[in-house]
Amino acid sequence: MEKTGAEILLQTLKEEGVEIIFGYPGANSLPIHDSLDESPIRHYLVRHEQAAAHAADGYARATGKVGVCMGTSGPGATNLVTGIATAYMDSTPMIVLTGQVTTDLLGSDAFQETDIIGITMPITKHSYLITDPANIQSTVKQAFEIARSGRPGPVLIDLPRNVMAAKLEQSENEKPVTPTLKKRHAESKKNEQQLQQIAKYMNMSERPVILIGGGVKLSQACDELSTLIEKGSIPFVSTMMGIGSVQTANGFNLGFIGTHGNKLANRIAHDSDFILTVGARFSDRSTSIVKEFAPLATIAQIDIDPSSIGKVIKADISLVCDIKEALAELIPLVEKRDRAEWLKRITMERDTLGKDRSMKECGPAGAFIGNVQKAMSEKSIAITDVGLNQIWTLRSWETKTPRGMITPGGLGTMGFGLPAAMGVKVGMPDHDVIVFSGDGGFFMNIQELATISYYNLPVKIVVFNNGHLGMIRQIQDLFYGARFNDIELGDNVDIVAVAKGFGIQADRVNVEDSGSGIEKMCAADGPFLLEVLVDPDTYVFPIIPPGRSNIDMIGGRQG
Amino acid sequence: MGMRERIIAILVNNKPGVLSRVSGVFGRLGYNIESLCVAETISPEVSRITSITNADSDFIEKVKKQLIRLVDVLDVVELVPGQSAQREMILIGINMDQHNRPEIIEGIGLFDCKIISMHNDYCIIQAAGSREEMGTIINFFNPFGVDKIARTGVVALQHKDSEF
Repeated sequence: MEKTGAEILLQTLKEEGVEIIFGYPGANSLPIHDSLDESPIRHYLVRHEQAAAHAADGYARATGKVGVCMGTSGPGATNLVTGIATAYMDSTPMIVLTGQVTTDLLGSDAFQETDIIGITMPITKHSYLITDPANIQSTVKQAFEIARSGRPGPVLIDLPRNVMAAKLEQSENEKPVTPTLKKRHAESKKNEQQLQQIAKYMNMSERPVILIGGGVKLSQACDELSTLIEKGSIPFVSTMMGIGSVQTANGFNLGFIGTHGNKLANRIAHDSDFILTVGARFSDRSTSIVKEFAPLATIAQIDIDPSSIGKVIKADISLVCDIKEALAELIPLVEKRDRAEWLKRITMERDTLGKDRSMKECGPAGAFIGNVQKAMSEKSIAITDVGLNQIWTLRSWETKTPRGMITPGGLGTMGFGLPAAMGVKVGMPDHDVIVFSGDGGFFMNIQELATISYYNLPVKIVVFNNGHLGMIRQIQDLFYGARFNDIELGDNVDIVAVAKGFGIQADRVNVEDSGSGIEKMCAADGPFLLEVLVDPDTYVFPIIPPGRSNIDMIGGRQG
Repeated sequence: MGMRERIIAILVNNKPGVLSRVSGVFGRLGYNIESLCVAETISPEVSRITSITNADSDFIEKVKKQLIRLVDVLDVVELVPGQSAQREMILIGINMDQHNRPEIIEGIGLFDCKIISMHNDYCIIQAAGSREEMGTIINFFNPFGVDKIARTGVVALQHKDSEF
């Protein structure tokens, strides 16, 4: 039986478990769209390819599956770049399909041609250009394997139009999958030894802390980590990407560390004598001044990616291993302790800093977010954009599951929230989905209101409107002598009218009196946008000033 | 700080684009590749890249980890002088006149170079040996009017008992 390259592609995608593609067609990807009709895979048409990438990213982050997005050649492919970089920084498993000019035109500056593989080399885990239709099946299978294995990441497959249109006899396509040559680099056989070391230090330590990064949920090791924490009575802090990984009821959760984290988390990490870091890469946002980070602590680091170990902080004990496996072996080696002294000290510290501080320091916006969460169901998933809205949400929304908070921590991409929320809703239809955004980020992918409206995706959209780029304004206010430059978005645009123009119900409230607005939003059947007016002088505290260490958080303007 | 010339050997899948990815890793870290040699090994699906870069040991650790992360990189090793054999080949084009010709010919003999082509006013010679020896030879011929030099860059193999 004859099949076209496109049909083989879609068949292989189906075999890999793909049910959804977020995409945007163009001349050079038409053979694929032509075959999508016959395929059980559902294609969601976005309004900008960047949104297709963010949607696939959100879908993958929420479901744990590999997200798939597609664009045509040339501008379609280049529009995907920001979305690919976002996924790369946060290690999201993703397949990016790009149409390409016919093979005979490659390198000739043809119409809508770009070297997308060259452009995305530093921001993809790997990429392929398929020039022989007989290689489609094996290449796609290999691409999925790479995307989801080890440290996950985006893999791009460039598909020339003639390769997609070519017809292949089914028998020719039965080529066996060429296995990737195994790395010869000696696998670390010292796991046993490292684990013993980690357990020894953990058992010996008086003031241990566990630092949870994004890698824990990627490894599906949240249960194992919980068990370890309960057994050893070890308090933990999270990076932005690790929030929600572990839920405990006994005060072990100190919050998130770093530039925008909790004072408690930063202070306790600073005083600890042993930090076990799992699945975190010590980004500059968590550590601030490296040489002043946790000066008294022995640091152990477990990560599946060897290049993350010792890259920023010199780990005293390091283990390159899948976290789930490592923790399973570590748990029996860790002694049950009650650590009363340490926990008492933490409780005292917590009381000193005040329990509700985090809510108060996010001001009325934080209180608003708390009220929204109360009005929504337990299983709700929150997505943030970037800026003040992101930090308010991360600190005021209680993340109850490992994949319950979706935020573009690594790249900090404004405009991520709205399209990512689309992907989350498509992937988790039985969950309530809400995105918190600022006016700045909202405008960046505002066209996706059309997609949400068209597919009637019941996403709740909150836009904190302070008429400015709020986070930048805060930085200029505190560190640039209040010289406000190029940050005023103004108030000429009627966001509610715009949403209604896109066919989406909307309302406007002030952040202080928002009760009825929240009710309306939660009660609405389809998508709903709530514009929340916020004073531009509302900032987020505490923060670590640039160039200062984790314990130098400030709570307001200095001097 | 240990800043010196370092030889890194990288075994990769022999596929288009791999060299680009590998050199991208160096470039991204802000380091220059001083020389690069790449060719098939005994298995045609595997190529060996031998590169020289000026760096300290911290950088080498960093670059090794980032290279091994690439899907098509199979192994990465630093080849240390004393524990490895290192060789380079060069071709030198030399301008000659009746005055310096005898000395040039003498030099060719002294350094055991091979004459690839010879004309009245121009010759191309070949030399092979360690990187230091190549430096010495180039220094010798420079004052005579060297026209062009083409170097292969170093190739190196670990001494016995090494799997690499």
